Parts: sequence; C-alpha cells; structure tokens
Amino acid sequence: MRKALILAIAATALAFTAIGCKDKGNEAGGSGATEDTVKLGLFVSTTGEIATFGGDTKNGAELAVEEINKAGGIKGKTIDLRFYDTASKAEEAGNVATKLATQDKVLVAMGAVASGLSLAAAPVFEQNGVPMVSPSSTNPTVTQQGKNIFRICFLDDFQGGACAVFAYKELGKRKAAIIRNQDDAYSTGLADYFRLKFKALGGEIVADESYKKGTKEFASQITNVKAKEPDIIFLPCYYNDVALLSQQIRGQGIGDDVPMLGGDGWESANLIPNSKGALEGSYFGNHYSPEDPSEHVQAFVKGYKAKYNTAPSSLAALGYDVVYVVKKAIEDAGEFDRAKVRDALAALKDFKGVTGTFSIDENRDARKPISILKVQGDKFLPVKQIQPQDVK
Amino acid sequence: MLELLATADPGGTSLAQALLQQVANGIAKGSVYALIAVGYTMVYGVLQLINFAHGEVYMLGAYFSYYPAKWMGYTTDPEDPTFVPAKVPLYVVGFLFVCSMACCALLGMLIERFAYRPLRDSSRLAALITAIGVSLLLQNGGIMLFKADPRGFPTLVEQSSVDLGLVALTNTKIIIVVVAAVMMTGLHLFVQKTRPGAAMRACSFDMRTARLMGVNVDGTIGLTFAIGSIMAAVAGVLVAMDQPTIDPLMGLMAGLKAFVAAVLGGIGSIPGAALGGLLLGVTESVVGTFSTTYAEAVAFVLLILVLLVKPSGLLGKSGREKV
Repeated sequence: MRKALILAIAATALAFTAIGCKDKGNEAGGSGATEDTVKLGLFVSTTGEIATFGGDTKNGAELAVEEINKAGGIKGKTIDLRFYDTASKAEEAGNVATKLATQDKVLVAMGAVASGLSLAAAPVFEQNGVPMVSPSSTNPTVTQQGKNIFRICFLDDFQGGACAVFAYKELGKRKAAIIRNQDDAYSTGLADYFRLKFKALGGEIVADESYKKGTKEFASQITNVKAKEPDIIFLPCYYNDVALLSQQIRGQGIGDDVPMLGGDGWESANLIPNSKGALEGSYFGNHYSPEDPSEHVQAFVKGYKAKYNTAPSSLAALGYDVVYVVKKAIEDAGEFDRAKVRDALAALKDFKGVTGTFSIDENRDARKPISILKVQGDKFLPVKQIQPQDVK
Repeated sequence: MLELLATADPGGTSLAQALLQQVANGIAKGSVYALIAVGYTMVYGVLQLINFAHGEVYMLGAYFSYYPAKWMGYTTDPEDPTFVPAKVPLYVVGFLFVCSMACCALLGMLIERFAYRPLRDSSRLAALITAIGVSLLLQNGGIMLFKADPRGFPTLVEQSSVDLGLVALTNTKIIIVVVAAVMMTGLHLFVQKTRPGAAMRACSFDMRTARLMGVNVDGTIGLTFAIGSIMAAVAGVLVAMDQPTIDPLMGLMAGLKAFVAAVLGGIGSIPGAALGGLLLGVTESVVGTFSTTYAEAVAFVLLILVLLVKPSGLLGKSGREKV
C-alpha cells in the first residue's frame, strides 16, 4: 500500500517535470501560437467604476480582431483573443496578468485602460517576458516598469503642453486662467504642464484656482478668475465638472470671447447636453475625432457603428489601434516569438492608426499628434493637429 | 505663495470689491447650508438625535423633481441626439417644487416611523447608528436605482448675471437667497406663533410632560421630520436649478457642511442654523479670494476656534429648550 502511494507520487512528480520541460521548449520556440491560431490577451475593466471606458476599448479591439480574422488573420493564423475583466481593481489586474502569461500563454497582452491597473499588471508581464501594450494609460511611470511594456496613447505632459501651444499660437491668447481639481493627479498634471508651457511661450497665467473633488458650486473660483480678465480659461477636468463649470462661467458673465480649453477628459456623449450650450466655441485636445474626414477613420467609424450602433469614443479607437499595432509588430518580427515581437514593437515607425500616425520612442511611449476639437452645435469638429515636435 | 501675491495685483477690480463679491457668493452658498441645517437642528431639538440620513433626503429632493420633469418631457438626456430640451414653464417649476416637497415630507415621516420610532426608548447610540445605516441605505439604493453617473437637470431658469450695484450674482443665486429667506422666516413664525409649533417646542422641552398635557407626541415628531425634509427638498431643487447635474452622492458633502453649520450656530436653534449656514458659506468664499485650495481647510479651522470659545454654538443654549 505504502509502496504504491510513493510510486504514485513519484509518477505524478515525473509527469509535472515533463510538462514543465515541454513548456520551456514551447517558450523558446513560438509561444502563444499553435498551428493555425495566435493567442492574444486583452484585459480591461468591463465592470466597476470605469466600466464604460473598458467596454468601449473591448468593442474597438473586438472589431479589429473580427476584421483581421476575416481578412485571413496574421500571417495566416487567426487571432484567438483571450479576454479577462479586471473589474476596476488593481489586485484583479495582477491576477489576470498571471493567468494570461502563465496559463493562456499569450504572445502579446493588451491592456489596461486605467494607469493604476496597468501598473499592477506590468511587473507580471515583465517577469514572464510577455510584451504588454496599453491602449490608453497616460501615467508616465507605466512604461517605466520594464522593457516589455509599451503604450500607444500620448502622455499628460504632452497633452498639457499641446493645449498651451494651441492657445498661444493658434488662438493668439496671452492671459490664461486655470481652474483645476486639486484632488486628481490627471487634472493637476495637465494644469502644471499647461502652466509651464504657456509661460515658456511668453504667456501669462493670471489665475490658477483649485477646487475639491465633488464641488458643484464654483462661484468663488470664477469670481477670482473674472477679476483677472483672462482671454482663455483652461479646464483640465473630467466632463461632469466641465459641464457645471462652463455653465457657471458663462452664468457669471464671462463672455463667449473667452473660450474654454481642456484635455481628453472632456470627451463624453453627455458633455454637450449637460453643458447646455455654455461650451459653444470652446476647444479640447483628444486622441482622435470621429468627424475626421480621412478614409481610414471613416471606414472605422462606419464599421463600428454597424456593429455596435453608436459612434466610437477615443477609447474604442485606441482599442482598435492597439490590435493593429500588435498585428504590425508580429508581421515585422516575422515569427511568433515574444522577444522578436517586443523588438518589433520597440522599432515601430510611422504606424498609421485611426488615432493618428505614430512611432514608438526610446521610452516605449507613442510619439503621436493630439487632435484639437472645437465644440460646435452638437458636434466635436477637428480644427488642428498638434505634433510632438511643435511642443518640444 | 510669492507668485500668488504677485498675481494678486488687481486687474481692474479692487480687493475690497472682490471681497464684497465673495461675501455675496457666500451668502448664496450659506443659504443652502442653512436650509439643510434646520432639518438637523429641529430633529436634534426634539429627539436629541443627529439624523445623518438628512443629506440623503436633500439628494432625493432633487431626484423627486428630476423624474416628474422627465416624465413630462423636460429632460436633457433623451435617446434622440437631435432633441432640443424644451423650456420649462413657470407653473411646471412650481409643480416640481411642490412635488419634491410632498415626496420628501412623506419620506422623512417614513424614515422616522420605521427607522427611529422603534428605537426611541433605546440608547441614543443605537439610534445614531441606525441613522448612519439609513443614510448608507439611501445612498446605495440611489446608486442602484438612479445609477452613479451624474444626470443633467433640466434648465428651470435660464442663468444670467444680474448687476446689483456693488456686486453681481446670477439670477439663480438671487432666487436661492430669496426663497431661503422666506422659508426660514416662515418656519420661525410657524414654530413661534402656531399651535403645532408650540407643541414642537413643548416636546423639545420635555417630551413626557408634553404628552401628559395632551400633546400628540408621535404626531409632532412626525411633523418635525416632515418640515425638516421639506426644507431639504427645497434646497435640493434650488441647488439642482443652480448647478444642474445631480448624482446619488450629492447629499454627502452638502449634509456634512449643513451639519457643521447647525453645530456652529448651536444645534437645536433654528435662527442658529440660519446664522451658522451663512457664516460657513461666507467664510469659505472669503477665504477663497486668497486661496481656493485651502478655502475649506481655513473655514473649518475658524469653526473649531469658534466652538472652542463657545462650545454650545453661537446661539445654542446650555439649557434644555432646544427648538
């Protein structure tokens, strides 16, 4: 009896060792791909507080996968997309990353949206040598987690700087006021970079007001701003706050000749109805515009509307682009090998996406333009693209 | 800070004028605090209970006018993107206020009947914890029912700036101040001059004796909750009119500020609630002239100092009569 048990344990141990060996062989060869499929991972939050962002990203990515598979896949192999919900929780992002890297053994992982979740997942992928491409995490530290971590969106420093360049050079504004959310790193980051660049260009920051998260009444801030007679007001905040701020700014008698300006946090289907016309003629920087007349963008918008019956947001566009970036990298690499794909990602040049033409720089970040959109009626119209070299 | 001083150079307006403007802003802000604060103060006066669910009654006050407006077609978030929101006529605005007041009065009485009355003879701590429970229940129930996303409130009054000579206020803020002043005066007269008001004062003085004298204590307590909730409902609709987005957690901060205002003025005292609310609003705004970053922090430090000198609040009595 005892002998039999020992034998059984020994046999099991042996079997595990054998599997382990096989795994190693697999990684050295072409991990993430079988005879006719290539496994790609996608991890975003489709539940929890940032569910709409994740849902849009997933929709965009799935549309791209569908298109690619219909057109014959990547180098003849169809994409097997392994999707996991990270539920807006950092610990869940870590678990999912382990699953994708060690169980599904994906070739490349795509995600996450929120920087906090990307930061939780990145070390896992870095350790396992899996290239990770984030579609939309803007925090600078994300890609500093290791040489396998990439992103295809612009960073907040560029966004803030680009807004300053647009205000100073395109609109000819010289006296800017800022109203920022002091509890939000995104808001203060954008505000600081805008401030720095606008002053460097020769402009003056006449007022820099802050408010606490959850504030709905901005009379004090606006009174201070109005007294300084700015010619532009920078609002680096999310759309809910912008809707209230803009109405109160106009309500307190700051006229239409003083436009408001902001970043990608403004983008929402709720922005225009909730601001009730107060934002007419104001501007914000965004990843792309669905009104962009270029053929590539319009084909994407049409495909997306046909599949989901709604216009694609920036996050959907970035989700769409990230899949094509990975496809391009695999094709450039020439084989289904993680290390080679990583090198191809790092060397990516002049990729033409729906969110603009971009290259990956030495920090594994995307160097890409920002689209400045103008609020007009119920539309966001593209008015100007600011290139990375314009801001440097 | 140095830079702040440098840019503080008045670009057209003098500091005195800016301060005056901020006082006006603060009075508008404080009027809302005062309207909510009376609910805390009246309930405390009668039951010595801090009704933490009161901020949520204020939140629901906004929703109780949002939905009727939506059902009548006055909404900003329709499915059809080409939709242009209709202008809300004055009689509809009046109806929305009444509707919200009635619903909140009922809600306030229900909360009292089912959450607080069964615990009236238990320890005050038990009732306090129940109050926190009701508050959380309403917040999370609100998130479930209304969704956490803020909703755009229809335009009840088109906002515009009104020049009052030395200062300028938006018309909605002037409406807030006027409505709040009328409501507070009415409430004061009600409590001082009418029989139900006298019953309220009697209950706050000594509930058992009041009952022996033939006062309907349960009815009076119910009425106290109803009136407090009506004031909160009015505050909810007024704020939604001035800052037209509403969300299920909007009662959290507003309730906290109003509670602080009630304590500052002397909890249990209705004129105290009015004074506390105005003082808090004006302090916050005036400090905001110099730094909006620290406005709330400085305002609260001032409040702590006031309470150190006068622990029962500005108009609070150390005696037992509370309303």
